Amino acid sequence: MVLVLAIGDLHIPYRASDLPEKFKSMLVPGKIQHIICTGNLCIKEIHEYLKSLCPSLHITRGEYDEDSRYPETTTLTIGQFKLGLCHGHQVVPWGDLESLAMLQRKLDVDILITGHTHQFKAYKHEAGVVINPGSATGAYSSLSYDVNPSFVLMDIDGVRVVVYVYELIDGEVKVDKIDFKKAAAT
Amino acid sequence: MISDGLEDEEKWLAAGVAGLQQNSFYMHRALDSNNLKDALKYSAQMLSELRTSRLSPQKYYELYMRAFDELRKLEMFFREENRRGCSVVELYELVQHAGNILPRSYLLCTVGSVYIKSKEAPAKDILKDLVEMCRGIQHPLRGLFLRSYLSQVSRDKLPDIGSEYEGDENTVMDAIEFVLQNFTEMNKLWVRMQHQGPTREKEKREKERSELRDLVGKNLHVLSQIEGVDLDIYRETVLPRVLEQVVNCKDELAQCYLMDCIIQVFPDEYHLQTLETLLGACPQLQGTVDIKTVLAGLMERLSNYAASSAEVLPQFFQVEAFAKLNNAIDKVIEAQDEMPVDAVVTLYSSLLKFTIHVHSDRLDYVDRILGACVKKLSGKGKLSDSKATKQIVALLSAPLEKYKDIDTVLKLSNYPHVMEYLDDVTNKEMANVIVQSIIKNKSCISTADKVESLFGLIKGLINNLDSKLLEELDEEDFQEEQNYVARLIQMLHNDNPEEMFKMICTIKNHILTGGTKRLPFTVPPLIFNSLQLVRQLQSQDENATEDEAPVTPKKIFQMLNQTIEALISVPVPELALWLYLQCAEAANDCDLEPVAYEFFTQAYILYEEEVTDSKAQVTAIHLIIGTLQRMHVFGIENRDTLTHKATGYSAKLLKKPDQCRAVYACSHLFWVDDHDIKDGERVMLCLKRALRIANAAQQMANAARGSSGSVILFIEILNKYLYFYEKGLSQITLASVQSLIELITNEMQNENSASDPAAEAFFASTLRYIQFQKNKGGAVGEKYEPIKV
Amino acid sequence: MHFQNTWLPEPFSRETETLTKALQKSFEIQYLDNINFSSDEFISPWYFQVNAFKPACHVAVTFSDGKTRKQIHLKKEKGQTVMVPLFQSQENISGQISIEPISGKKLEHNGIKVELLGQIEMYFDRGNFYDFTSLVRELDVPGELYERKTYPFEFSTVEMPYETYNGVNVRLRYVLKVTITRGYAGSVVEYQDFVVRNYSPLPSINNSIKMEVGIEDCLHIEFEYNKSKYHLKDVIIGKIYFLLVRIKIKNMDLEIRRRESTGSGPNTHVETETLAKFELMDGAPVRGESIPLRLFLSPYELTPTYHNINNKFSVKYYLNLVLVDEEDRRYFKQQEITMLRLADAS
Repeated sequence: MVLVLAIGDLHIPYRASDLPEKFKSMLVPGKIQHIICTGNLCIKEIHEYLKSLCPSLHITRGEYDEDSRYPETTTLTIGQFKLGLCHGHQVVPWGDLESLAMLQRKLDVDILITGHTHQFKAYKHEAGVVINPGSATGAYSSLSYDVNPSFVLMDIDGVRVVVYVYELIDGEVKVDKIDFKKAAAT
Repeated sequence: MISDGLEDEEKWLAAGVAGLQQNSFYMHRALDSNNLKDALKYSAQMLSELRTSRLSPQKYYELYMRAFDELRKLEMFFREENRRGCSVVELYELVQHAGNILPRSYLLCTVGSVYIKSKEAPAKDILKDLVEMCRGIQHPLRGLFLRSYLSQVSRDKLPDIGSEYEGDENTVMDAIEFVLQNFTEMNKLWVRMQHQGPTREKEKREKERSELRDLVGKNLHVLSQIEGVDLDIYRETVLPRVLEQVVNCKDELAQCYLMDCIIQVFPDEYHLQTLETLLGACPQLQGTVDIKTVLAGLMERLSNYAASSAEVLPQFFQVEAFAKLNNAIDKVIEAQDEMPVDAVVTLYSSLLKFTIHVHSDRLDYVDRILGACVKKLSGKGKLSDSKATKQIVALLSAPLEKYKDIDTVLKLSNYPHVMEYLDDVTNKEMANVIVQSIIKNKSCISTADKVESLFGLIKGLINNLDSKLLEELDEEDFQEEQNYVARLIQMLHNDNPEEMFKMICTIKNHILTGGTKRLPFTVPPLIFNSLQLVRQLQSQDENATEDEAPVTPKKIFQMLNQTIEALISVPVPELALWLYLQCAEAANDCDLEPVAYEFFTQAYILYEEEVTDSKAQVTAIHLIIGTLQRMHVFGIENRDTLTHKATGYSAKLLKKPDQCRAVYACSHLFWVDDHDIKDGERVMLCLKRALRIANAAQQMANAARGSSGSVILFIEILNKYLYFYEKGLSQITLASVQSLIELITNEMQNENSASDPAAEAFFASTLRYIQFQKNKGGAVGEKYEPIKV
Repeated sequence: MHFQNTWLPEPFSRETETLTKALQKSFEIQYLDNINFSSDEFISPWYFQVNAFKPACHVAVTFSDGKTRKQIHLKKEKGQTVMVPLFQSQENISGQISIEPISGKKLEHNGIKVELLGQIEMYFDRGNFYDFTSLVRELDVPGELYERKTYPFEFSTVEMPYETYNGVNVRLRYVLKVTITRGYAGSVVEYQDFVVRNYSPLPSINNSIKMEVGIEDCLHIEFEYNKSKYHLKDVIIGKIYFLLVRIKIKNMDLEIRRRESTGSGPNTHVETETLAKFELMDGAPVRGESIPLRLFLSPYELTPTYHNINNKFSVKYYLNLVLVDEEDRRYFKQQEITMLRLADAS
């Protein structure tokens, strides 16, 4: 069992001053094995904050990230799953599932995680999953109205992944759960 | 010279220890054989080693501790002798036959301790005799140690309340009297020590003297531990007597230490109830005494006490603690005209801390203290004294820490005035502290006036234009500090759009004077604050007549346009471009076509004239296409102009793959389901153009031999073909799809090209996708069915 | 207030002699040795005459209350001590004297007597005894002794005004002298020492000694001893109050000194001994300090004050307050005290 935090589009400090306190108190060091961050953190302080939660940190670059060393896309394997990561502003039309599916095929991954739209999404698509963890700070977005802060926690166990979505709605944290089992390799 | 002295001292200590050990050996032998006569003889000889004048206090202490251990054993022996029937009274006399006073005194204290325990005489008489007989040692060092021995052996035998030695004629007053007397004598010896020996060694001596201070202070500790010292006794006897000695000894070192000691060892409520007496002693101390530290210590203790529980606060009000302390401080500052600024500020800072803990609702007190501080600082210009500066920072930080609310602090009219006396660097640090406090406490700042005051307060961070100072800055520190400012700007909020707009304008006015270095940090949060406001206006009354409304999206966009422009001169064209696009989309959402067009135009100008980095160009194109794809406000003409330019930019990117990808992305500009834009021709134009570029890229790759990668572009284009094929674009035929598959298959089998696992995986998953769609059945399945893979 | 009444014309004098280390040492040991024997009597070595010839008989003197009477140590030459009985004036001194010829030989004599002698011996006038008391009892008329014979004797209510004393230059002894007078063979003389001590009542007037002394602008002190007359087991209580201190004092001692004067006129011999050196203060006091004094007399070998004993000698006691400064200069003030022997203190 591996816990993977997927988080992105924090936009600190340009669009939000900080992570919500409730999220901060949930995210404590030592519980999470990997963090995958879709980008737009945007500053070093936040990078260090994430690093303090878990040293295994994978980040792709958002357009507002000051660190230009983040890659455009990256992949990693956890359990039986291959995960792909991309911020998403490169995929036009933005947030379009079919276009994202193409990126998923291109990266040849089971789970694709992208951001940019600030809307939490999780689709089962073809043989895989496409996830958007939303904006952890609920930052302003030109793409979405009424953004709620959200992030995703994935519990990966062999061929099974349980996706928990944490969303802050009117000051309360709501949790949703999506189960996904990888089809046996053909 | 000095090292010789130290070496000699080591030798003397070693000799002393040897003498002591030898005699203690004989003493023990005598003790073992119950030979009292010899035991006394050797113990006296052993103690004679303590008569030395050659050791520094530190070394003397080592010797003393060894003797102390031996005396404990001797005391046990005496106690046993007593139990066996040997008269303790006789023992008490016997030890006084010793000819030398120092051994005699130590032995007397040792037997005295047994004597008290035997209860054959009242404890108070024995204690009185002991403390009196010790007067014979007038040598400061030896006297201090002897008396500290007396204090040590008598501690558990004082006739305190509840002690077995109390009762009838032995009262707690006798215990107090004894300790007070011993304290007084020790202090006199300690003070006198400074006059021993040559003047040139005064500094060393004072250092040594300072090392001995705890021997004296221990007595105060003992006093504080006496159960029977209740508030009345403390007020009537203990404090006046101790203060009398402190004042009369006229010694700076002792006064400083003892005042602090009094403050530290006795309970807070005693201090509170005797404030007048304690404070009254301050002006009587020597002029050189560091009264500020003493008073600061007192106020700190009382502050902590006040903070410990709300239940104790009434005590403070009852004794009018604030008035008394304030009064005392005024007097001290008035009396000491030459008092350094840091001391003055320390006093005010302590008083302020005290006040906010005790009278948390009395902002007028706090402001009064700050005002008094300003008055004292006025005419001195900015402070250059680092100690004073540190104290001012403490003074200013205290209300922040206490109230955790910038609102309250902004109400303090003298607060900004105090800040003005800080040097630029510290002023900025203080501003940092304020900003961080706001962020940490999530303070809400919700009016333009408050924003104005706040930005006035933290101007060191916002618009200090001392370019020299800016250059000297550490880049990382600067970024960190400006990031905090950005976070602060994000926190300024009011739900009322009108007030919010005022706030935004206020912020803008401040940050635009911040210089090019700061703008990249401060402009974006302001832009997003404004866009948020635009959102809010959208959701509210959309029917309001625009011209009359105090705040409209239009006005906001006007302001934003100017603000973003400021970034161009920084220059950070990419950031400005991004922001223009954000604004354009916001304007789109407000149905403001000309505004949106204007923003796009600005963005294009920047792209053409300022964005030169190829990587930035790629990102810019993605953002332009992505944004443009979502725009619905444009009429055909405007839209054509913009899409035409976008595809043009795409085809001119530096690298072929980037060109290819940008161009096929452009295809989406002409097929937007939601907005009913379905221009199949131009989609095909884009896709074919992308194919041509991919071809060109492949030829270049072939020419370069072995460098592959372009096949992946074909697969990407295949996917785009499938995308639009699925959407029902008539221009995309089964044949065109099929031939693309064949092209790729051939390309993959081409022996000239190196194998590319990424491409292979991509192609495989694409084929799987086709199969998946076939299996879906229905309309989609039908469409895919003919595709051969 | 300073000097009107208490200031005595005799200022502090500077004493040039310094106490030898040996004396200091011997004092220390003296105190320690005597810790358990405070009632002991010290008698210094003393020249003792021995009969050069082999005695013709054994002579033994026994006192009639010998078994119950208090015996005390009397030191003889070569460190020997003997136990001798203790008497006081106007006691009856009685007993028996037994004489036994050696190995059955007959002993011819011209008479046997016993004398009770009180003698004063001055060392500078060696061999001269002044008998201030001399009583005789004839025990036997001239004759012959063949076997042991016992003679009772008694001296009733003997006047013995002076105490046994062993001084530096003089001694006072009491002795029973048995003489068996013989012609050619030489007389047999046997001595039996005993000690006399006389007791005084508590003095009805016993003022304290209080005095202010000093060196102008340098050192002024006031000291007080609780009494002027002390008995041998007494405690001296007092205090020393510093009115002015401008010198750096190192320490302060109290000495007990004995002044023995013998002879008269141009032949007067004065001998002063320091019997006790008791440290009162260590270090330099400042103005206003008062230092307590408590000195137990019992450990020291003191005698009562003797005034002009039989016009031959006097013994006086002094308390000497000595201050030593950092340059080892000594400042002292000597004050006579009267010593006396209390009956119950023996």
